Amino acid sequence: MSNADKKSMLVLIRRAPYSSSLARASVDLALAAAAFEQQVDLLFQGDGVLQLLPNQQSELLGLKSIGKVLGSLPLYGIEQVYVDARSLSRYGLAGENFVVPVIPLEDEAMSELLARSDHLVSC
Amino acid sequence: MVMHTLNATAGSEAFEDCLRLAKAGDSILLLGDGVYSAVAGGQSSVILAASPADVLVLEDDAAAAGIQLKISDFPLVDMDDFVSLSERYPRQLAWY
Repeated sequence: MSNADKKSMLVLIRRAPYSSSLARASVDLALAAAAFEQQVDLLFQGDGVLQLLPNQQSELLGLKSIGKVLGSLPLYGIEQVYVDARSLSRYGLAGENFVVPVIPLEDEAMSELLARSDHLVSC
Repeated sequence: MVMHTLNATAGSEAFEDCLRLAKAGDSILLLGDGVYSAVAGGQSSVILAASPADVLVLEDDAAAAGIQLKISDFPLVDMDDFVSLSERYPRQLAWY
């Protein structure tokens, strides 16, 4: 598949990691798309930024760690991981050492990201 | 150009984030729980009116909620219009 045929997909991740199955579903969607060589970008927003926290001990809840899965994003070729700067501020997480390197975006940059992605998915 | 479907009440993070990112040339279609924000005279309708995006309300959902006659600031659209909108906008984003 040539690059010209590739469509870019932006997945908006807006849910806290362990309160519902939506968080894991959105990550699985992104990994599946990337495994099929689609260009996938992620934008963590709102409660979704909480998925990026290091040291998640989710085995205490009997659940697999979403943080560990997110740590493998570069292996799937997902290089661009964006976060809503305002959401980081809300939770006091600006400058946190997250499970993957992230690029904080202000409102205008996020609007531009939406406008230039071919497909948008929100979970 | 993005068509935003907003299915969340005015107190929600989804409502706030949608309004923050929608820009000129976009549309915001209120449906489900989103329709309540369009009631004329409400603070949320003022916020919606200030958006640079076009705001529309799904008529069936407004009628189901019992507020159809309380919406005067935004156009009501039916299911056929919904389909037409989906065709016109290359991108759609669901807020819920």
